[in-house]
Amino acid sequence: MRIIQACCKLGLDFVCVYTAEDEASGHLSLARELGGQAFRISSYHDANEIMAVADHAGATAVHPGYGYFAEDYRFARRVCERTRPMIWIGPSWRVIRTLGDKINTKRLARSLGVPTVPGSDRPVYDELEAEEIADSLFRFQAEQGIDLARVLVKASAGGGGMGIEEVHNLDHFKTVYRRIRNYSKRQFHDEGVLIEQRILDFNHLEVQIAADRHGSIAHFGTRNCTIQSTGRQKRVEIAPGFAPDQIKYSFDAAKVLDDITNHSLAIAKEVGYDNVGTWEWIVTPAGQPFLMEVNTRIQVENGVSAAISRLKGQPGVDIIKEQIRMGLGDPMGFTQQDITFEGIGIEYRIIAEDPANRFTPWVGRIDRFNPPQAPWLSMHSQIPQDKPYVIPTEFDPNLALAIIWGKDLAEAKSRGVEFLDRLVLQGQDQEGNPMKSNIAFLREKTSDILVF
Amino acid sequence: MQDVKAILEEIKASPYEEVAILAPHAGKVQFKVAGEGTKVYAPSGTWREKPGTLLASLERERNPRPITCTRKGEVQSVNTQLDGTFVEAGTPLMVLRHFFTKEEVTQAILKKVLFLFPAPERAKYLFAPEVDKKVKVSGCQSIKVKDGMDLFIVSRMKREKPLAYNGPDGILYAVYFSYDQNVDAGQPLVSVCPENQMDMIRDVVNRVQSDWEERE
Amino acid sequence: MDIEKSTQELADRLQYIQDIFGSRQPGDVALLAEKLAEFRAREQAEGMPQKVKLLAQIQDLFDFVEKKLDAELVPMDKVRIVRHPQRITLKDILEFVYDNYTEIGGQDEYSIDPSMVIARAYITRRIGDKVHNQPVMVIGQEKGHGQEFRNGGSVKPWGNAKALQYMKVAETENIPIHTYVFTPGAFPVEDYPGAAQQIARNLYEMAALRVPVVACFSEGGSGGAEAIALADTRLMLSHGYYSVISPEGAAAIESGIRQGQRAPVSMIEECAERLKITAADNLRMGYIDRVVHEPPLGARPHHYDFFKRLRQEMIMATDEAFLGVKGLGLIRGMALKRRKKDAVADPESMFVRWVLDEGAADRLVWKRYSKFRNMAKGAMRDKTPASRRLTDSLQQVSWSTYSYLRYEFLRTYGKKLMTLAEETRAEAGVVLEKVLRPFKSGGARKVDTQTIQKLTELSCAEEGICLTGDWDGGYVSPKAREDKAVTCPNASTHGCLDLWAPDLFGDFAGVCQYCGHHFPMEYQWFIHNVLDKDSAIEFGQDVEAGNPLDYPGFDQKIEEAKRKNKIKSSCLTYEASIDGVKIVIGVLVAPFRGGTVGAAEGEKFIRALSRARKKHYPFLAYVHGTAGIRIQEGTNGVIQMPRATMAVRRYIEAGGLYTVLYDTNSYAGPVASFLGCSPYQFSVRSANIGFAGPGVIKETTGIDIAPDYHKAYNALARGHIQGIWDRREIRNNLVQAFQTIGGRNLYYR
Repeated sequence: MRIIQACCKLGLDFVCVYTAEDEASGHLSLARELGGQAFRISSYHDANEIMAVADHAGATAVHPGYGYFAEDYRFARRVCERTRPMIWIGPSWRVIRTLGDKINTKRLARSLGVPTVPGSDRPVYDELEAEEIADSLFRFQAEQGIDLARVLVKASAGGGGMGIEEVHNLDHFKTVYRRIRNYSKRQFHDEGVLIEQRILDFNHLEVQIAADRHGSIAHFGTRNCTIQSTGRQKRVEIAPGFAPDQIKYSFDAAKVLDDITNHSLAIAKEVGYDNVGTWEWIVTPAGQPFLMEVNTRIQVENGVSAAISRLKGQPGVDIIKEQIRMGLGDPMGFTQQDITFEGIGIEYRIIAEDPANRFTPWVGRIDRFNPPQAPWLSMHSQIPQDKPYVIPTEFDPNLALAIIWGKDLAEAKSRGVEFLDRLVLQGQDQEGNPMKSNIAFLREKTSDILVF
Repeated sequence: MQDVKAILEEIKASPYEEVAILAPHAGKVQFKVAGEGTKVYAPSGTWREKPGTLLASLERERNPRPITCTRKGEVQSVNTQLDGTFVEAGTPLMVLRHFFTKEEVTQAILKKVLFLFPAPERAKYLFAPEVDKKVKVSGCQSIKVKDGMDLFIVSRMKREKPLAYNGPDGILYAVYFSYDQNVDAGQPLVSVCPENQMDMIRDVVNRVQSDWEERE
Repeated sequence: MDIEKSTQELADRLQYIQDIFGSRQPGDVALLAEKLAEFRAREQAEGMPQKVKLLAQIQDLFDFVEKKLDAELVPMDKVRIVRHPQRITLKDILEFVYDNYTEIGGQDEYSIDPSMVIARAYITRRIGDKVHNQPVMVIGQEKGHGQEFRNGGSVKPWGNAKALQYMKVAETENIPIHTYVFTPGAFPVEDYPGAAQQIARNLYEMAALRVPVVACFSEGGSGGAEAIALADTRLMLSHGYYSVISPEGAAAIESGIRQGQRAPVSMIEECAERLKITAADNLRMGYIDRVVHEPPLGARPHHYDFFKRLRQEMIMATDEAFLGVKGLGLIRGMALKRRKKDAVADPESMFVRWVLDEGAADRLVWKRYSKFRNMAKGAMRDKTPASRRLTDSLQQVSWSTYSYLRYEFLRTYGKKLMTLAEETRAEAGVVLEKVLRPFKSGGARKVDTQTIQKLTELSCAEEGICLTGDWDGGYVSPKAREDKAVTCPNASTHGCLDLWAPDLFGDFAGVCQYCGHHFPMEYQWFIHNVLDKDSAIEFGQDVEAGNPLDYPGFDQKIEEAKRKNKIKSSCLTYEASIDGVKIVIGVLVAPFRGGTVGAAEGEKFIRALSRARKKHYPFLAYVHGTAGIRIQEGTNGVIQMPRATMAVRRYIEAGGLYTVLYDTNSYAGPVASFLGCSPYQFSVRSANIGFAGPGVIKETTGIDIAPDYHKAYNALARGHIQGIWDRREIRNNLVQAFQTIGGRNLYYR
């Protein structure tokens, strides 16, 4: 939806695709309303469908959205290298490939002196070497005064949580190492493992980067995404990442923000980054940042950064619009000096789920959805306000995204609470039980945002 | 219990069902069958290794993919105006008329006259271990079910829980699920026949076998 | 005199003649029919003496015409002769050639495989007043004069297994083996032990049997024949045939007809001619040693003289085999020579003890190897210049010397040196530890800056930042240059989405991302992307596939294959390394005439094996694909089965590690010999492995087989292969295999 709106702002024609399950979805009606074409396809995961529709409609560029294909360098490569090439709205596929590999990213960061999680930066094959690394990691943590020292053993060929185990002390290391090594060998035919420090207590920060195709790189500040569900899904994002002028931290928070911003820019420069992207960091209670990974795509939470950004002093920044514009080859047209920041932004993700019960998704029908209106609030939602809506079971039950702005932390927090209190959201499931949502959870979390 | 004869007559009155062929994906369609009345065939061969009649091809990204017939019958209508054009996924391409086979008619009648135990939710279903053993050895009709008997195991999201049968006592006549496939809520899992009606059921089967003429 | 019986015999003879000439009936046959009818008509009226006279006349006429017709026989007639129910069978031979016998493990249909007959027989020789009973193991296919259960002599895998078992028994008992080949081909089923795999096992074992083997061919149908025919002396009946494929099979391939149809008769006759299948042809090409002459129009059970001749030939061949390795006494040798010259002399008049001592057995095996090694030399084109040949042979000597020093000399003496060094080092360690201990203990638990650096800074910077950096370069399949989507054959059952060709044939190595289905890839993919980069160096390019039988039209076809594939034969041989381990590789390239094996391919394979043996490298047979033996080369191709298998055996016995890796379709002769005999056969998921393809199985056995019958997983389940690999994991698996199977000491015992 936001992509469609951005296209309209830029005066561009657009085509969108949808599946049978999404027949009732908001993006489809918006697209039709705004005079764009829409085609039904069999699956969002089938690249062939997207290419076929693009050719048929004569599209000249592809925006992959937030998900699935956005970080798939093969998809990006296909868009650019097919017989009828199109413009890829995103960083070039080579960049996606380089930064898509976590080991590569880690080594790249280290080569630039950017701090990363202590541990190995290459697959370890030798048991003695592995044990030595683990041993030094335990001693290293002991020295820093960390009580609950933990070491992670990961299958280097794995990903997505498979083949990762935690070790509490060196005596257990050998057993775990062997188990992971054998698992990795069975599963991926590779015996390599990674050994890293496990950081238990941290804040999750992000740096929003934007670049054009001509070598200009700028940032749109930082975000704090520490408030998450048990499954490590973000629920509240705040821009900027810390508020040193309003909250007291045990470390120099302003310097941390500067450091991670500069490190992120350095890496972006090194790889020739040429579109928008997010650098994910974790910051320890001691104020030590570590680079985690780079998301080579626009993220859902870009809006909260836009909310506090002022371009040449003006509000109303649209990072998606800038992404499309620069992706199509336009020069940036502004410099870092033109970007200033004002106030605090909070983004809430309103989701049909039960926070008390491990955030289990809730399935049912929404009867009433009535968000309040305010000049400091912007909403993104595909839920219709005039008729009941059955949540499709195929996708995550994301209902709405609310971005709240306040001139300082106190105002932002009180507006946030006000918004949540005035929001009307009712529905029932098949058995007639009332709807469950995370509104109360969001409200409770609002009180201690940005506190570390 | 409904009158079997009446049901059979009802089916005889319209001995076929219409099968709509939809575009499985986007692409340029090219029809490969002549219009109305053309006979089309389902996959054949000992292992179903010979594909059914080629109905159309749908070309996407320079890759023409065949759409073949899965059930025997004849062509009822073809949306010929689409020939050579780009179609979206799910576009109706043609309608086939499938004549019921003896097996299908029998099943249709049995589903109407027998007690069907429905699946309470979408999940995979299995028989409880003892029942499973018996079914594997002597077939499902060796099982006598009673109300409240632990008959199934529901397997969903890798979690398993027992499910008790409730309904009339009788013999397990047929099984409609397999361990590796999800069953939607409300779909029948098994059909149960009261013991005293087994003879009548056999009669149905025999009657269909002798009365029903399969159309070529 | 029983006129009636004699007349009936004549009628049978006439019927036989009509049968063997098939559709082509020469005028003489009509004449015989006419005369016989005439005789029958007149015979009633005549008196006894006249009857006898007339009968004698007509019998003479038959004899005369048969003799005349014998000269007119075309190859296809001979095929009909050996297949005729009246053709002599192994049982007849056991009855009339040997003095006594006991059949082992079979009584008519009560046998594990009635088409394979085993018997312990003996030959009695009377020298002076002494009687010698000389035992032999007789093994052969039994066609049984048309008995249904004999399956026409088409032996099932377990029948060949039984044959092998008794060859080993003969070896233990130290008695010679006589084999009789009466088979149209093996029964092509994959049930354990598997048609191809069992034949391969037979060949491998026969290659080094320590007792003499004499084989006699009547009907030698390809692989089925080879299963028992790897012999020291190979005799052939003059009206038999020995061929790579049945003429019908060749004609079916030649005319490109579909399954279930019949090739035209004229085409079948022509193929029989072209394939050079007769005894005379095979004698000329050197694949048999001698021809045993049969009576006109082929031996039948009533030809007692023939059995006597066959007995003498078999005895003589066995004698020669023994004497040839026994360390000939001078007088004996002269006697034997004289006997050869004077063919009428009775071999039974001289006694040769059929027993070998250890040394003689060694010589026997070596002689057998040399015999096969020297076959088919003229059937390929070796364009290696003379100067290169000389340097090549000198180089080989130097490899052998080097290997000797490296592996033999050092093993014995090096070990001692090593142990000494290790002991010294251990002692030094103890001393050092004692000296240093006071200094070390204090700071042991502290983390020094160097350790912290190790944990937080870039390691091994010299290797570059991107460790998985081998993204560009390597071999890219031409299929990866097309902008199109490809549908996986399992899409309907596994829900695979279409794959973009550049991804599929590039990054994914031809493997469906969703279900793991393997699409075929080019052999170059393996050479460039599995082996160490740029490590493969080809050798033996100068040996070229030819057209040894001057098969009509084949010159163009083979030239076309050479031009299209830019290689000279379907077998490419390389020296290469994989993860630093040096290996020799023999590749069978599928696009070159289906990866078929002929004389050139066999020779290259053998030379590569010998290179690996001399250099002490492991050998990998990478079967990109093979459809079998190249039929247009006839027996020049078939003979590669025993030849290459013997070379494999020699390599393995010298301590080599012989590994086979199948990639796509791998069928027939090569699998049934030098590939199937490997104890380590692995397969990429995409492979189909077996003896005969589905079409041939349907044709020969009438059995419909499931589409997945030959799939690698089924081959694994049947015990034919030892493992299945994902194509993307070939390299890792190979390294692993070399390490675990070969051991640290470079794959040599």
